[in-house]
Amino acid sequence: MAHQPRKLCFVTVGATASFHLLLESILDPAFLGKLHRHGYTNLLIQFGKDGQHLFDDFVAKYPHGHTSLHDITVEGFDFNHAGLDNEMRLAKPSENRSSGLVISHAGSGSILAALRFGVPLVVVPNPTLQDNHQEELAEVLQTEGYAVWSSYREMSSALDRAETLRTQMLGWPPVSSAQQKESQNLEGVVSEEMAYLD
Amino acid sequence: MALFQLSLTGLLAWGLLCLVVGCISVVILLHALAISQSAPVPKWRHQSSPVHFLVVLGSGGHTAEMLSMLRRMQLDPIKYTYRTYIVSSGDSFSATKAVEFESTLVERGAAPGSYTVVTVPRARRVHQSYFTAPFTTIQSFYSCLLVLRGLHSDQQALPAELPSPYPDIILTNGPATAVCVILAARLLRMYHYCLRLLFPARMHFHARSMAGATTHRSAPLSDEFRLRTIFVESWARVTTLSLSGKILLPFADRFLVQWPALGGKSAWKGMKKTEYVGFLVD
Repeated sequence: MAHQPRKLCFVTVGATASFHLLLESILDPAFLGKLHRHGYTNLLIQFGKDGQHLFDDFVAKYPHGHTSLHDITVEGFDFNHAGLDNEMRLAKPSENRSSGLVISHAGSGSILAALRFGVPLVVVPNPTLQDNHQEELAEVLQTEGYAVWSSYREMSSALDRAETLRTQMLGWPPVSSAQQKESQNLEGVVSEEMAYLD
Repeated sequence: MALFQLSLTGLLAWGLLCLVVGCISVVILLHALAISQSAPVPKWRHQSSPVHFLVVLGSGGHTAEMLSMLRRMQLDPIKYTYRTYIVSSGDSFSATKAVEFESTLVERGAAPGSYTVVTVPRARRVHQSYFTAPFTTIQSFYSCLLVLRGLHSDQQALPAELPSPYPDIILTNGPATAVCVILAARLLRMYHYCLRLLFPARMHFHARSMAGATTHRSAPLSDEFRLRTIFVESWARVTTLSLSGKILLPFADRFLVQWPALGGKSAWKGMKKTEYVGFLVD
């Protein structure tokens, strides 16, 4: 395998809410097969505090080397209190890695982290959350070309769309558009409120 | 029977009076709110004067976004000489993030001990019943009042160079604690506004101190121009305001939104509008 660069798919469900629906569609031999066809070698899952048993069941059912794993190395952890920057970095291209993918719940913290790292991103809103403004965010990010918006049911096709996104990703943070006035940044607003004489 | 009749009319009269007085005070309060929100703050401060900057760190995503904004604005520790971070009880993530962020400011000239992290009780814990929530909210509100006056037990004595216990700028992006902090700030400002109405004589002193530049930096009435509040709606809010946002819309001095669909909204006619400023996060 040494000749083949590693390609990692990192899945994060966040710390606050559980997202079993997404975990179930990720921990599925069909999805792993799709990952394999797209050249992925590793799947890393942040499964949250309630996701442990789903992950354990999967590992028990498909032990290392099982044909249903399609040569994908599957690893997981519950949560990292120091943040997920290290995991996101694994999806960035480097010496022996090709550009990977981040699949994230629609929490702004994780989305912003992935955008900051410039990693292709699939945003999956959690339908079990009330007051679901996450759908709006995911939709607008897809429209503006920052990310792929996907339902947890359509993860396979999301992988195809992520490959398209990879070729035409926008830079982050976005350059301020011309109609944005000079004073309209946070520093400017704070200074205005300070009411300086000079 | 006549007595009963009399007392009934008396009761009615009292009721009517209370209603009228109540309505008038509500109208006055709303009017005062509208004036206070649309009146620009007079220019009164020199660039070199020390500034106390207060940041409310909500929780999880809110905290991450706030720190992202502070990074992007490149918060200058020399300009904002003293920083206070408010976190909610049990939110060690935000407290850690605040300390982490401050450590990045050291190389940019932050004086040692020029910030503090203050913990206030949560207004409402997740899953807490709405029946007990008002009580914990009052507790949280009181705690925020103490912080703004520099009297909270987590606070060290503020640096002597700060002329007032009040923060100059309050920056927040929600959720519940932010509501308490901004309402507490408005209450303190109303108090100072009423003081000025009741004791206009002190205004002369103040006017002179403003003309005479910084010689009277500690003029008591300059407190009226501190506690300026800036609310930033979460970047995750694309077409609808958050609950904290809806509550704070008539109270915050500046209400910034990061998506165009949220720009130009106001609490009611005549109130200040939300300002679309593009992405503030990095």
